[in-house]
Amino acid sequence: MNDKNSAGKTWTSASGIPLKPFYGEDDVPAQHRERLAAGPGEPPFHRGAYPTGYRTKPWRIFQLSGFGKPEDENARIKFLLEQGETGFIMEHDRNTGDHCYNVDHPEVVARREDVGLTGAVMQSVRDIDICMKDLPIETSYAHAGGAVVQHAPFALAGYWTVAKRRGVALDRLPGTGQSDYFLTYLGCVTKQQVPTDVGLRFNADIMEFCDRYLPRWVPVSIAGYNAADTGLNAYQELGALFANAVEYLDEIQRRGTMPIERAARGCGGVSFRMSMDLFEEASKLRAARLMWQQLLAERYAITDAKVANLRIHCVTAGSRMTYQQPLNNIVRGTVMALAGVLGGVQSLGVSGYDEALSIPSEHAHQMSVRIQQILQEETNVTAVTDPLGGSWYVEALTAELVEKAWGFFEEIQAQGGFLASLDSGWLHEKAAENQHREFMAQETGEQVIVGVTAHSDDASPYEVDGFMGVDDAFDVALERLEEVRRTRHEAGAADALRQLERVCRSSDNIMPAMMDALEAEVTLGEIGDVWRDVFGDWATPIQT
Amino acid sequence: MAGDNAVAALVAEAVGGSRSALARLISTAERGGDDAAALEAALLPCGGNSYSIGITGAPGAGKSTLASALTTELQAGGERVALLAVDPSSPLTRGAILGDRVRLQPHLGNPDVFIRSMASRGHLGGLAMATCTARRVLEACGWPLVLIETVGVGQAELDVAGATDTVLVVLNPGWGDEMQANKAGLMEIADIFVINKADRAGLEATRRDLEAAIAANAPERRPAIVETVATEGTGLDALRAAIAAHREQAKASGELERRRRVRAVTELRDLARARLELALEGQLAGPAGEALAGAVTRRELDIDSAARRLVADLLNSDSQRGASRGDPEQDTP
Amino acid sequence: MSGKRILMAKTGLDGHWRGPTIVARALRDAGFEVIMIGMARPEEVVQASIDEDVDLVGLNIGGHVDVAVRAVTALNDERPDLPIFCGGVVPPHAKRRLEALGVEVYPPGSQLPDIVGAARRLTGLD
Repeated sequence: MNDKNSAGKTWTSASGIPLKPFYGEDDVPAQHRERLAAGPGEPPFHRGAYPTGYRTKPWRIFQLSGFGKPEDENARIKFLLEQGETGFIMEHDRNTGDHCYNVDHPEVVARREDVGLTGAVMQSVRDIDICMKDLPIETSYAHAGGAVVQHAPFALAGYWTVAKRRGVALDRLPGTGQSDYFLTYLGCVTKQQVPTDVGLRFNADIMEFCDRYLPRWVPVSIAGYNAADTGLNAYQELGALFANAVEYLDEIQRRGTMPIERAARGCGGVSFRMSMDLFEEASKLRAARLMWQQLLAERYAITDAKVANLRIHCVTAGSRMTYQQPLNNIVRGTVMALAGVLGGVQSLGVSGYDEALSIPSEHAHQMSVRIQQILQEETNVTAVTDPLGGSWYVEALTAELVEKAWGFFEEIQAQGGFLASLDSGWLHEKAAENQHREFMAQETGEQVIVGVTAHSDDASPYEVDGFMGVDDAFDVALERLEEVRRTRHEAGAADALRQLERVCRSSDNIMPAMMDALEAEVTLGEIGDVWRDVFGDWATPIQT
Repeated sequence: MAGDNAVAALVAEAVGGSRSALARLISTAERGGDDAAALEAALLPCGGNSYSIGITGAPGAGKSTLASALTTELQAGGERVALLAVDPSSPLTRGAILGDRVRLQPHLGNPDVFIRSMASRGHLGGLAMATCTARRVLEACGWPLVLIETVGVGQAELDVAGATDTVLVVLNPGWGDEMQANKAGLMEIADIFVINKADRAGLEATRRDLEAAIAANAPERRPAIVETVATEGTGLDALRAAIAAHREQAKASGELERRRRVRAVTELRDLARARLELALEGQLAGPAGEALAGAVTRRELDIDSAARRLVADLLNSDSQRGASRGDPEQDTP
Repeated sequence: MSGKRILMAKTGLDGHWRGPTIVARALRDAGFEVIMIGMARPEEVVQASIDEDVDLVGLNIGGHVDVAVRAVTALNDERPDLPIFCGGVVPPHAKRRLEALGVEVYPPGSQLPDIVGAARRLTGLD
C-alpha cells in the first residue's frame, strides 16, 4: 500500500503526515498500544478528561462576544445566554485593551471609528460594572477578557473588583482570563507591549494571586488557537503550547511560592483551534491530553490524576471562514465543531459565518449557538465518550501527533525556550513557512477551498455586508473617561498608581496593587503608562 | 535617465528643503548609472558638514532597536537625525523585505527624523557606493547626523558601517557564533562596543572577554564598552556620551581627518575599479575584444599578450561613455 | 531586477499579520523591495511613502472603512501619482467606497498571483 493514488496525488493530513488508504492494528505503534486499554478519565487521558463525558456535563457553549459600549456588549451577552450559551466571554475593545491605551491616546483617536468594533471599550471599573450588569457571575463560568498578556492584569482585577463590590466572595468566582502570548506576540502583533519576560512575571503573579484568593479561577489559559490560526500546524500547535506551559511551571518552581501541582492545575485549561481536517483535529485533542499527562509526570513528577487531566476549550478556525459564499461557513463551522466534540472538549466556540467580513452579527452569533445545540441535542454524539477510541486510524494519528509534537517542543527548547523563540522571530518564521506552503497548495489546486479556489460560481449570491457595531462607542467612551477623571477621588487614584509603579519596580506580586488601583478607579491608559515607563517595549522580530 | 540638468534641479530642490526631492535623490544614488555620477557632481558645491555613525552587529543583536533608541536619545539633545537602514537583497530575485522600520515606529511621522530603508541590491562597485552617495545627499541637505545601520556578517556590510566617523559594534552577552567568527574584523573597525540586552546572563564574561581582546590595542585605539538595554532605553545616555567622547578625541587627535582621507582613497579605488571593469567589459564586447578572442582561439596569439594588448587599448581609448557606475544590466552598452 | 519599491502599512491597531506577511514574501520573491512600517496613522504613511520614495503603497486594512479612507485620502492629496492597493477584512460596502477612491481592493480569498500581478501593473512593470 502507498499513499498515492493512480493520479499521483499524495494523501497527507493537514500537517503533512502521510496517510495510508486504510489502517490496521499494526499501524498503532507498540508503545501506544498499552494505553488503549485505559478508559476516559484515567491516565494518560487521551480518551477524555472525565469518565462520563458529555452525559454528565455537556460541553460549555462559549462564544466570543463583544462590541460597542459596555451596555451593547452586556445586551449581546444576555442575548447569547437567552439563546442557550452556557458561559460568557467579555471581550474588551482591542484598540484600547491590547495596547493599554485610553481612548484619548493619539493612536486611538487616529482610528476613532475602529473603537468598539472588536469588543466593548472598558477603561475603568465603572465600564466593567456596566458590562457585567445582571450577569450571573456566581453561577456562570466567565471569560473576563484580558486575552492579551499585558491587558490581563487590568481585565481580571476589574472583573474581580466589580464582583467584590457586589458582595460576591472571590473564592466563589468561576472563570478564566487568558493572558495569552500567541495572539499579540505571534499572530496580531500590537504596536506596543511589554517584553516577553515581563509577561511571564505578570502571568506567574496572576497564578499566585488566584492560588491564594480565587481557587475556582483558571488564572492563565494558553491559546493554541492563536498559534494555529497564525500558521502553526497541528503538531506545532501542540508543541508550542506545551513549551509555553513549561515556562510558567518552571517560573513557579523557581519562585517556590506555591505547590507545583496547583500551578499545573492553574495552567491546565487551554484552548485549541479546530480546523477542517476532521480526524487530525480530533486526534490532536486526544494527543494533547496524553502529552500533558506525560509532561507533568516526567518533568515535574506530578501523578495526581485530578491535576493531570487537561481541560480543553476549542474555537473553530476563523481563518477558514471564507469571504466568498459566506453561508458555506455554517457548514464549515459545524464540521470543525464536530471535530472538537469527537476529540472530547469541555467548552466550544464556533466562529461566525461572517468572520471574514466583520465581527459576528446577531444572526451569525445565534447560528454559532444553534450549531452546537443541534450537535448536542439532535445527533446523539453526547451518548458515548471517545467514540473514535480504538479506531486504528485515529490511534495511529494520535500517536504520530504526539511524537511530532514532542519533536517540535524540543526544537523550541533548542532555541532557548518558548519566549526566546518569540523574541528571535523563530516561531514567526515557522508560521510564515506554513502559510506560504498553504497558499502555494491553493494555487496548484492541491488544496481546495469551495467557493474560492473551486466551485466559485454562485447561482444565488447572498451578500453579507458585515456587522459594523454601533457608531457612538468612541464618543461615549471619551465622555465616560472624562467623567471618571472628574469625579473619582483623585488623591486616592494617584496614590494607588504610585504604589503600582513601586511594586512594578520591585519583585513583588503586582496583583494586590492592581486590585487597589482598580478600586481607586485608576484607568487603563494610566496603567499602560506605568507598563511603558517601567518595562519598556518588546522588540518586534523583523521578518526578512 | 533624467539627465544632468534634471539631477541638478532636484539637488537644488532638496537643498532648499524638499524632503521628496531628497528622497528621490537617494533613489538616484541607488539606481547608479549616469544620473548617480551627475548627482555627485551636483553635490560637490553644496557643502554641508555631517557626522556619520555606523551601527553593525549580528542579526538579532538588536541593532534596529538600538538605532531607534539612540535616535530618541540624540533627538532629546535637539539633533535632527537621518538613518539609513541597509538590508540584503535576495541574490536570486533581487527582491527584499526591509523591516527595520517596524522597530523604528516611534519616529514615524517625526519631521526631524529621516529614515530610509536600502536594499543592498548587488551594486557594482559595492554597496558602499550607494550609501556613501546617499550620505553625501543628506549632508548637502543639512542633516547633521547620519546613522548607517547594517548587518555585520558579510564583508560588504561591514565595510559600509565601517566607513563612518564613529563605528558602533553591537553584540549581546554571550557574543553569538557569527560574532565570534568575525571577531578580528569587528575589533578592527569598532570605536565603541555596545553590549545590548545587558540584562541577560553572561554580561560579565562578555565584558571581560572584550576587555582582554581590546588590551592588545594601542591605548588610543581601545574602543569604549557601553552596556544598554535598548528595549527599555537603558544605557543610551552613556552611549551618547561615549559617541561624543570618541568624536571629540578623533577630531583633536587628527584621527577623524586621517580616517576620512582613507575613506576617500577606498571610495576612489572602488569607483575607479568599477569604471575600469565596465570599460573592460565594453571593450571585450566590442570589435577589438572579438578580434583578440578570435586570435587566441585560433592560436595566433598567446593569452597573456592578448590581455596586455586589451589593457593597452583600454588605457589609450577615450571611450569612457557608458562606463559609469551602477547597475551592470542598465549600463552594459 | 525591478528595483521597484512598495510600502506596506497597516491602518488599524488590531490587525492580523498573516495576510501582510504572506503578501510581502510573494512580492519579495517577485523582485520587489518591500518596506514594512507596521501600524501607521495617515500622516505617517504619507511621510514614509515620501521618504522611502516608493512606487506603490499597500495598505492592510480592517475595522471601520473610515479609517482606511482617511489614509487613502491623505495619500491621494499628497502623492496623487502614487498608486494604492489594499487587502484585509473589507466587507462589500467598504470595498465599493475604496474603489471609488481609485484603490484596488483584494479581500480575503484573493490569490497571490493576482496580487503580484497587480503590483507589477501598478508599478508600470507590465
